[in-house]
Amino acid sequence: MPQYRSIFKDETKLDIAYIPNRLLHRDSELRLLKEFFGFTLQFPSKMAQRVIITGDVGTGKTVLSQRFGVDITREANKLGTNLRYIHVNCREYRGSLFLILHHVVSVFHPTFPRRGYSAEELLRILLQILDEENVYVILALDEFESLVEQEGSEAVYKLTRLQEIRQNKPQRISLMCILRNLKAIEQLDSSTRSTLQSNIINLGKYSKQQLIDILGDRVSLAFKSLTVPEDTVNLAADIAFSEGGNARFGIELLWRAGKYADAEDLDVVEPECVRKAVSSIIPTMRKSDLASLRFHEKLFLLGIARIFKESQKAYVSLADAEQAYAVVCEEFDMKTHSHTQLWKYLQTLSDVGIVETEVSAAGNRGRSTLIYLPRIPILELEKELSALLEKEEA
Amino acid sequence: MSVEDVFSSRLRIKILKMLTQVGELNVSEIARRLSVNYNTTSKHLKVLEDEGILQHKVFGRIRLYRLNERSSKARALQNLMEAWEHANKR
Repeated sequence: MPQYRSIFKDETKLDIAYIPNRLLHRDSELRLLKEFFGFTLQFPSKMAQRVIITGDVGTGKTVLSQRFGVDITREANKLGTNLRYIHVNCREYRGSLFLILHHVVSVFHPTFPRRGYSAEELLRILLQILDEENVYVILALDEFESLVEQEGSEAVYKLTRLQEIRQNKPQRISLMCILRNLKAIEQLDSSTRSTLQSNIINLGKYSKQQLIDILGDRVSLAFKSLTVPEDTVNLAADIAFSEGGNARFGIELLWRAGKYADAEDLDVVEPECVRKAVSSIIPTMRKSDLASLRFHEKLFLLGIARIFKESQKAYVSLADAEQAYAVVCEEFDMKTHSHTQLWKYLQTLSDVGIVETEVSAAGNRGRSTLIYLPRIPILELEKELSALLEKEEA
Repeated sequence: MSVEDVFSSRLRIKILKMLTQVGELNVSEIARRLSVNYNTTSKHLKVLEDEGILQHKVFGRIRLYRLNERSSKARALQNLMEAWEHANKR
């Protein structure tokens, strides 16, 4: 039996559940979180904290809070405080306060019954457990929108005001509400809102360079040395950037690209593997988009596809694309169109979402337009275009 | 209570075996797993608790039973159950 070869060193480092030891480009936010919880860490019974973390998909909200959770638990243990960080994805529990609280209780009593009491009783039970075991909890409510949508103000109010029903007792539960934006909070009534909106951390979209750093870091952890070329990382970062600066998406792309490389027994993860990975994750080329292109747009695109196929590069220049187009025109016995016309074709292809363009940084030879095909496997594109062109010629 | 009296009940043995495996359970769940009614289960749980083998915690209307960690009888039972299970698997 042939031995299984893999370019992965440790693919768990690309798993969504992996919490990196160092968070790239989120240091200031991590420091701010630690500042917010500084007093709570020193005097846990005196003050519970409430923090809101917002940011688009893939901006690192979950990983930031989990990294923070690991760090603060370690710090608290050093100080002799029994602190637990509990991360709950509210959507997984259908936004139900009861199910969320049941999950938290089951951290302490795994076989706690699911029936026979209300959410309010469960909250009291949770506080009883925490008092008896002298535990403090930081409850991270991820996808907090789901809880607000499902339960409205009352549930949030209960969570934020629970200390009021237990005067002179230690504050046990701090909250971290994680959500995309503050719209969900705006739906809450004013008194509930006022209990929440004190500490807000907003995570901005990652820049392309930041995504390159993050993906590069994961590559070094997950893949064997020299198996992922810079071009591949850059392409994955470009695509992740075009998907709203979504680092998680970029990481998943890398994993899938690695799987394609393994399946084809390649020694390196080529940019084409990333393209295949994209097409397996997000809606890819629609045949109708290709069919609706004009004849010379198709010829131009076929030329671009062929250079990518031959060169295994992630990017090609407009000048190279023009040359490839000239060869295709010769093949189809067509007169080439002008540079200006081709520039317009490129804009159309970009508008349709088939190609993406980028102006390269100024160098010795000035600026030039780079073209890349983020989402479409080249072979599939070439096959489809050839079939369409032959049909039109006939 | 003598050891033969405590172990004379098949249900009590089952309860002990169950709690050794699961850790802790509420009365209704124990009754459901044994397919007996609530009162019968409560009665047997009380016998085992009076012997110091089990302990319970009350959370509102819920009573969670578990082996009494401080009881030497409970520790001996835990060892017996584990040794038995282990021997049966071999």
